[in-house]
Parts: sequence; C-alpha cells; structure tokens
Amino acid sequence: MAVEGDPRASAKKSLGDALDDLPIFNADNLQNNIKSIYYSRTFLSIIGGVIAGIWGFTGLTGFIFYFIVMAAASFSLAAKAKFSVHAYFDSWSRILLDGIFGGLMSFVLFWTFAYDIVHIF
Amino acid sequence: MAEDLVLDTAIRDWVLVPLSVVMVLIGVLRYFVSKLMRSHQAPDLKVVKEGQVILRARNLRAAAGFIPAKSFRARKIYYTNEENGLLHVPKGQAQNAQAQMFSDPNLAMDMMKKNLSMIIPQTLTFAWVNFFFSGFVAAKIPFPLTHRFRGMLQNGIDLSTVDVSYVSSRSWYFLNLFGLRGLFSLILGEENAMDDTQRMMQMSGFGFDPTKSLGAEKDSIDIIQHEWALPKLEKRAEDVLKKLVK
Repeated sequence: MAVEGDPRASAKKSLGDALDDLPIFNADNLQNNIKSIYYSRTFLSIIGGVIAGIWGFTGLTGFIFYFIVMAAASFSLAAKAKFSVHAYFDSWSRILLDGIFGGLMSFVLFWTFAYDIVHIF
Repeated sequence: MAEDLVLDTAIRDWVLVPLSVVMVLIGVLRYFVSKLMRSHQAPDLKVVKEGQVILRARNLRAAAGFIPAKSFRARKIYYTNEENGLLHVPKGQAQNAQAQMFSDPNLAMDMMKKNLSMIIPQTLTFAWVNFFFSGFVAAKIPFPLTHRFRGMLQNGIDLSTVDVSYVSSRSWYFLNLFGLRGLFSLILGEENAMDDTQRMMQMSGFGFDPTKSLGAEKDSIDIIQHEWALPKLEKRAEDVLKKLVK
C-alpha cells in the first residue's frame, strides 16, 4: 500500500553504487522519488491516525503505533526499491527517516479526530 | 479534578466535524482562488537569459568529469574569459536590485495578493470559530500532557481544573490548521505545499541580484578541478566484461 507508484523512474541512474566517488544521478528523477516517498508517508500517517483512533489507542501506545507504521513504511519502500537504495536515492536516510516527523502532526490530528468521534462522544 | 467529562454528541455533530470539514473546504477554496488570481506577466528577457546561462554553467560544473580535459577547458574559457565570456559581468553594469524591485510594481502586487489570500480566510475562520464556538470543550486528545500545554490547548476556557487533554474549540481550530497541511498536499498536489516555501524564498530573495549569482557561478567554474571519468569507467567496463566472459 505504501509503495504505490514509488520508484516511477526506474531507469534512473545507470551505474549505481560502484562509482561512489562520482555522483551520477538525475536530479529530476531523484526529486520525483523523494516526492513519492513524501506522499506515501503523508498518506500513511493520515490513515494510521484514523486507524489508531478507531482502535482506541491512548497515550504512548498511539505514538508507538505511529512509529511502527513508519518503520513498516520504510521497510516496504526499501523492498520496493529492491534493497538497492542507491539506485534510486542518494542516501539511506531518504528512505528511513525523511518525512517521519512531518507526518506526526497529521497523525495526531486524525488520531484525535477519529478517537473523539468513536470513543468520547 | 474532573475525571471523565461527558461531552454532548451535539458538540460532535455541530462543532467538531463541521469545523474540520469547513477547514478542508476553505483550504481547497483558497487554493483555487489563489490560482485564479495569479497574474502571468511576461518575464524579462534579460533575466531569463541570465538564468539560462547560469543553468548551463551549473550543468557544465556538474558534468565536468564526463568530457575530456580539452573540451572542458574550451567550455570554461567560453564561460569565464574576461572579454566576452558569458558569465563575465562588466563593471558598472550591475543594476541596483532594489531599484528594479520598485520599478516593477507587478511583483509587489503579486506578493501582496498571495499574502492576502492566505490571511483573509484565516482571519475569517478564526473569527467564525471565536464567535460561534468559544467557551466550551470540543474534543479530547488521546494522550496526556503536562500543564504547560494548557494555554495552547484550552485557549478560551478559563478553568484550571479541567484535565489538560480536553481541547477547546479554538484550539481544535489551531490543531486543524497545522495538521491539515499534509492532507492538502495529498488532495491538491504539491503546488499547495510548495506555496509556503516559495513565498519564503521570495521574501528572503527580496534584493535578489542576478549579476551576483553570475559572478558566483564564474568563480566556482574557475576553481573546479577537472578530472576525467573515462579511465575509471573503462576499468569498470573491463571488470563487467570479464565477469560476463567467465
């Protein structure tokens, strides 16, 4: 689910990681890949928030759930890139860390929203 | 200490859900309004030219390793020589950016329009929330917080005994304001998300001076150390072919 349309530009950089000292990548495609990661993370944080709210997580559990979702997203993104991250991104942190804290606000909002609607009223 | 407040379901139906829906719809509306108001002015020929030259120079710098030393030298001279190089700016021709800014009222107008399309809906929604929904608890966040957050989350309720995790409607508005950004970038595309950063860049680049960036590009081409990549690539190709042959 997270990986829908992820590395659209698969013909991205030709000579991958062997030539570490020589940066060969197409900036447009890299930008495109980063954007799709951002979208999938945002989408996941909203969906995750609604799910956490409906299941009625409170307190720390909810945040742990969020980070579990994000870890799963990181893993599936890496799997989508066939674990050769350097063919699609310039560093591992793009897949593992980018956008995790940006999505937190959306997660909290939708978590609160769903939780209130289902459990509080 | 009120342990469990019972919230009226009417609050959900008439405050919580409508507020969020209205915020989303206003965000969408704002997007389209600002799209309509955006004026397209013909870009200045000179500015476009300089921008393209800078782009070309940047490409040369990035791909310097892929051309032979001789070709690189030729291009370098083409860009940076002191007589008619593309990146060379004759002294005294540098235009005062501030003056240029004032001579072009469209730019300032555009910026003001953008700011207005941001501020007006926000003020209106805030006034609306304030007028109709002030003074009661609208939601409860599902995690505990310390008392420091009281001012932030219970804006508009002056009771010190209510548990901090209960949120007033005014603060629910603020939560929406920040949390919906992600949703907007999903439903409206990247343009909306980019708007903010672009505006920032415009603000900081108030006195943007193209001649300065030409000079900077010239300097960085001057100091680049050319190193041809082909020998390394040949070795790599050799390795690959050997592996294939085996």
